[in-house]
Amino acid sequence: MMDIVTLLLAAVFLPLFPFSMVFNALFERLPHPVLRSVMLLVWPLIGIYLLQGERQLPPDWTVIWASATAILYGFRLIAIRDMGRWIGFLATSAWSLLWVSINAGMNGGWLYQFALGFSVPLVMLVIMATHIGARFGAAYTGLYGGLAATTPRLSGVLVFATLAATATPVFPAFFIMLHNIVSSAPEIVAAMLIAWLLWTWASARLLQGLIVGSKAGEAVQDIGKVLTWLYALLMAVLALSGLYLAGGRL
Amino acid sequence: MDQLILWLPAIPLISALLTHLLGRGIVRISTTCGVLLLILSACLLGLSLLGADVHLHTLGISWGGLLFDPLSALMALMISGVSLLVRVYSIRYMAEEAGYARFFVLLDLMTASLLIMVAAGDLITLLISWHLIGLLLYFLLGHDTRSHSAYRYGFWTLITCRLGDLPLVLAAMLLFHSYDSWWLPEIFEKIAANPDAATFLGLPVVEVAGGLVALSAFARSAQFLLHTWLPYSMEGPTPVSALMHAGIVNAGGILINRFAPIYVHTDSVLHWVFIVGLFTAIIGSVLMLSQNDVKKSLGYSTMGQMGFMVMECGVGAFSLAVFHLIAHGLFKGTMFLSAGGVIGEARHDDGVPKKDLYTFIVERQPPTDKQPWLIMAAITLAVPIFVLFLSHWAVAPDLSQKQGAIVLLFFGWVTGAQLLFSTYHMSAQNPWRLVGLIIVSFVIVVIGYTFISHALDLFLYPNPEFAAQLYHAASIDILSFDVLVSIAALVIVVGWVRVYYQHHHRIHKSQPPGNVWLNFYALISREFYINDLYTGLNRSLLSASTRLNMLLRWG
Repeated sequence: MMDIVTLLLAAVFLPLFPFSMVFNALFERLPHPVLRSVMLLVWPLIGIYLLQGERQLPPDWTVIWASATAILYGFRLIAIRDMGRWIGFLATSAWSLLWVSINAGMNGGWLYQFALGFSVPLVMLVIMATHIGARFGAAYTGLYGGLAATTPRLSGVLVFATLAATATPVFPAFFIMLHNIVSSAPEIVAAMLIAWLLWTWASARLLQGLIVGSKAGEAVQDIGKVLTWLYALLMAVLALSGLYLAGGRL
Repeated sequence: MDQLILWLPAIPLISALLTHLLGRGIVRISTTCGVLLLILSACLLGLSLLGADVHLHTLGISWGGLLFDPLSALMALMISGVSLLVRVYSIRYMAEEAGYARFFVLLDLMTASLLIMVAAGDLITLLISWHLIGLLLYFLLGHDTRSHSAYRYGFWTLITCRLGDLPLVLAAMLLFHSYDSWWLPEIFEKIAANPDAATFLGLPVVEVAGGLVALSAFARSAQFLLHTWLPYSMEGPTPVSALMHAGIVNAGGILINRFAPIYVHTDSVLHWVFIVGLFTAIIGSVLMLSQNDVKKSLGYSTMGQMGFMVMECGVGAFSLAVFHLIAHGLFKGTMFLSAGGVIGEARHDDGVPKKDLYTFIVERQPPTDKQPWLIMAAITLAVPIFVLFLSHWAVAPDLSQKQGAIVLLFFGWVTGAQLLFSTYHMSAQNPWRLVGLIIVSFVIVVIGYTFISHALDLFLYPNPEFAAQLYHAASIDILSFDVLVSIAALVIVVGWVRVYYQHHHRIHKSQPPGNVWLNFYALISREFYINDLYTGLNRSLLSASTRLNMLLRWG
C-alpha cells in the first residue's frame, strides 16, 4: 500500500480536488509572472517526483478522482474571465490527468516530459497575460476586446498559446491526451473527452472575449517584431516536440 | 510515381508559409500553388485511373502516412479544384478586407488539412486533420475579427465539430486496442480476415467503431440535431461559405467511404445511418422551404443534401454518395460564388412572375393554358419510373436484387414525379413544350447520374464482391423492406390524392388554415426550437459554472 502522506502530498502537487485549492489559491496570490511561470513548471514535477519514489502504483480510484477533478475544473473554466485564474484552472484540470499516465505505468522520464507538455504553453499564456495586463490594466476576457485589431501580433501569439494549452494538434498536449486515452478504461476515456471538450469551449470564450471587436479607446502598442519571432520560434519548437516526442511515443 | 501524393499537403503548406513570411505577392504565390496542386491532383487521379496499385506512403514512424488509392486521388482533385476556384475568386473579393494575407494562409492550411484527411493512411493522421479542419473553419468563419456575431456562430461550428471529433477519437482508440495498429490498411486487413474477432462491452468492435465513425460523420455533415451550425454560419466571407458548402461539409461522406471495409461487416449501423440521413433530408428540405432568409435557406438546402448523401451510404450506395458530394459541391459552390452577381441582376429585374391578368391586359400576351389534370398525373407517374428503370437496367440488370438500389430508384421516381407535378402548376403558353423540356432534362440527369455513379462504383470499389457485400450489409429482411416501401408509397400517393382533391373541389388558400397547420408552421418557423434549446442549455451551463465558482471561490 502506498504511503498515505505521500499520496496526500501528491494530491496537492498533481492536483486532486479539494487539495487542488492549495495550488489555485497560491497561484492567484502570486503577483509576479516569473514566479507564476516557475510554479507552473515545477509544481507538477514535485508531484511526479513524490510518486516516483514509491514502489507501487497509486490505487485505481485515484484515476477516477483525477478524471472527476479534470471535469470539475474544466467546467469551472468556461465561466472564468480573469486570465490568471483561467490559467490556474486549466493547469489543475490538465495536471490531474497525469494520474492516468502514472497509473498506466509510464516511466519517470516520460512523465516529466508530459507534465512539461501541459505546462510550457501555460507559461506562454502567463507571459501573454502579463503583456495584456501591462497594456489594458488587467488581463480580463470580455472587458475590452478588439486585440486582433489593436495588437495583431500579440493576439496571434495569444491564439497559438491558447490552442497549445488546450491540446490542439500538433502540440504536445494533444498527443498526451491521445496517449492517456489509449491507455485507459472506457469510463475514464469518456471523462477525459468531456474535459477536453470543456477546454475547447473555455478557450473559444477566452479568445472571443479578448481578440474580437473593433478598435476602441486609446491606442496601445503591440509587441515588437523580434519578440513575436521569438514566441513563434518557441511555438514551433513546442509543435515539433509534440510531433516527435509525445507523438512518437504513440 | 504515386509517392507524389506526399506533395499534396506540402504544396499548400509551402504556400501558407511563403504568404506569411513574404506578406506580398500573395496573388502570385497562391495562384501558382493552386495551379500546381490541381495539376498534381490530376496526375495522381490519372495514375489511379490507369490502374496504379493502392500504396501507403509512410514517414517511417508508428504513424504518419498518406494512402494513395482511388478515393484519395478523386477527392484530392475535387478539393484542389474547389480550392483553386475559391482562391481565384478571393483575390479580388477579399482585396479590401483586413487580414488579406491571413485569409490566404488560413485557406492554404484548410486545403492542406482537407487533403491530409482524404488521404490519411493511419488513425492519428486522420484525427489530426479531422480536428484541424474544425478549428480552421472556426477561424475562417471569424475572419472579420470585428464581428461578434461571426464569432458567436463560428463558436457553434467549433463546438459541433469538437463534439464530432470525440467519437472518432473513441473509434480510433477501440480499433488500436483491438488490432494493435494505427495503420488503416492493416486494420482493414485484420478485420477482413476475422471480422468478429474483437468485442467491446459484448458487442463486435466493427459494429461499435462503425457507429462511432458514423456519429463523427454526422456532426461534420450537419445531420439532424448536429446541424444548427450550418445555416447560421453565413457570417463568414462568401468564399468561405463556398468552401464550406462545397467541400468541408462533405467530409462526413468521405469518412464513411474511408471506413467502408468496416461497414461491410456491420449488421445494423448502416440502417441507423439511413434513418438519420432520411430524417435529415426531410427536415432540411422542410426548413429550406420555410425560410425567408435566402442564405439560411441555402444552409438548410445543404443540410437536406447532406442527409441525402448520408442516406445513400445507409443503403450501401457508397460510391453514389461520393458522386453526390462532388455534384452537390460543384453546384453549391457555384451558387455561393455567383450570389453577388445574382444580387446585382436582381437590382435590375426582381424576377417575380407577373400575374396572368397583368400579362393579358398590360402586356397583351395570350392567356396561359393548362392541360387536364389526369393526363398530367399519368405522365407524372409513368415517365420517371420508365426512365429510371431503363437507365439502371442498362448498367446493372440485377438491380432489382439490391434493396439499396430500389430505395434510390424509389426516391428518384418520387423526385421526378414531383418535378413534373410542379410543371402542372406553372403557367406557360405552350405547356407541352415545357413538359417536354423537363422530361428531356430529367432523362439527361438520370442517365448522367446512373452512368457516372456506375463508373464511380467500378473505380472506387472495383471488387464486385465487396460492392455486393456493402449492399448486403445495408439490407433488411425482405418482408420488412416490402412493408416499409409500401407504407412510403402509400404516404406519397395519399399526398397526391389530397392535392388532387383540393384542386378538384377548388379549395382555395383563402380558407383559414386549421390549428394543426398553424402549430406546424410555428414549429418550423422556430426551426423545431432546437436552436432555442441549445441556447438555453448553453446559458444554463454557464450559469451553473458561475454559481459553482462562487461557491468554491477559494480555488
